[in-house]
Amino acid sequence: MVFAWLGKNTESASRKNGSAPAFYAPEPESPLKIVATPPAPAAATVAHTVDYELLGRWIGFADVQRHTMDVLRVEIERTSALVEDSTLDLSRRFQELAETARDQSSRVDAIVAMARFIEIDGDKVPLDELVNNMQTVIDEMIANIVQLSMKAMNMVYLLDDVQKDVVDLEKSISDIDAINRQTNFLALNATIEANRAGDAGRTFAVVANEVRHLSKTTSDLADRMRAKVSAVVKGVRQGHDILRHIANTDMSPQMLAKDRVDKTMDSLVQQTNHFQVVLENTSASSEEMSKVIGRMVTGMQFQDLTKQRLEHVADSMTIVTAGLEDLVARTRASIPDGVDIPFPQAWLDSLLDRFTLSEMRQRFVRRLLMEGTALDEHGILDVSHEDTQSGGGDVELF
Amino acid sequence: MDYTIETKDQEAQVRMTGRLTFNDHAKLRALIKEMLQNAAKRQILDLSSLEFVDSAGIGMLLIAREELSNLDKQFVLRKASGQVKRVLTVAQLGKLITIED
Repeated sequence: MVFAWLGKNTESASRKNGSAPAFYAPEPESPLKIVATPPAPAAATVAHTVDYELLGRWIGFADVQRHTMDVLRVEIERTSALVEDSTLDLSRRFQELAETARDQSSRVDAIVAMARFIEIDGDKVPLDELVNNMQTVIDEMIANIVQLSMKAMNMVYLLDDVQKDVVDLEKSISDIDAINRQTNFLALNATIEANRAGDAGRTFAVVANEVRHLSKTTSDLADRMRAKVSAVVKGVRQGHDILRHIANTDMSPQMLAKDRVDKTMDSLVQQTNHFQVVLENTSASSEEMSKVIGRMVTGMQFQDLTKQRLEHVADSMTIVTAGLEDLVARTRASIPDGVDIPFPQAWLDSLLDRFTLSEMRQRFVRRLLMEGTALDEHGILDVSHEDTQSGGGDVELF
Repeated sequence: MDYTIETKDQEAQVRMTGRLTFNDHAKLRALIKEMLQNAAKRQILDLSSLEFVDSAGIGMLLIAREELSNLDKQFVLRKASGQVKRVLTVAQLGKLITIED
């Protein structure tokens, strides 16, 4: 009755493992029957004899198997803990990563928002508007240069004309001088003739004298005019020279600089647009990365399920081990003293061959030694033996 | 700068060569006078052989346009190339004078 549940467990274990080892008793009830007198079915003609040697072998095997089961259970628990620790650690790191990606995304967004504008005196001016403004300013500047050039040339032509007029004026003054000289000469002659006429010419002499007087005044006036005209001519010539100098300053290279400025501005806008697109993509990538990492973190929560399953497996193994231990004790009690209980060295060797992880194999070997099951088969009891590094089936311990 | 004028019917073809700079201002004034005096209503300035124009040259072309327009004569700049074409474009002279290729 005690093994009612055990029978069921063993059955399922057998199904999982395929065929049971040859020396394993397939019927859990059979060891119980050992104690009892062999049943005597009505039709039985052949008496059952108990094979103590087989039982001895079974006990030896079951002992090792029980410990093996125990070791495997511990390994499962260790593995589950390892997976849990690693998963929690990974999860935490991934969460940090997701946060970093989100931070990066928002920082890039801030840069994208700034890239469109240029701050001038505290005002945020869109880059394309700024470029348009600058191009307008340059266009106006060039239009002013063109207008200025035209006006300067108009002035040059006007002053050319004024210079010609001034030359004419100088000639006119010279003409006045010539006329004056002649008038003066005529007046002098008139005076002489008046004196020669005596009293009759006295009145005429007065007129002739007045004419001479007038001629002198005219001559003075012509002198003053000549002085003034000379000053004007000097001024006009100087002004003309300055104006020629101004008009002769070629502004066409400055005008043509507009081409370069336009190209520079276009490149600037283009480059900024390109940066913006790249940054927007970067931001989107970071956001996507953050989402993917979030999904990965969620995915890792399935570790919980793994842990629960491994716990179930370990629990079942504990129960199986307990059942096996109980059965071994009963069997051991029911066989006579002196029956040989051999150690299943060959089975153990083949089992150890599969433990390629030296650390795990070491733990397994130690556990068997501590339990004293395989004590001193080969006289080696070095529990602190650490360098079982080779992965092969080196089972000299036994 | 040098120029030649050929008049056909209502059109005067002025062919300009060399460099048009401030130093040509007297020569350009003579040209303007000729264009004002000839009978053609349409004065075409062929710039295909003009290599260079400075800002004073642009100013003189505008004076020519103004004086011709006072006499209801049309002024056209044609076939500018190289630096001349670039300066005409940048100066946006097309807004004031008819420019043809």
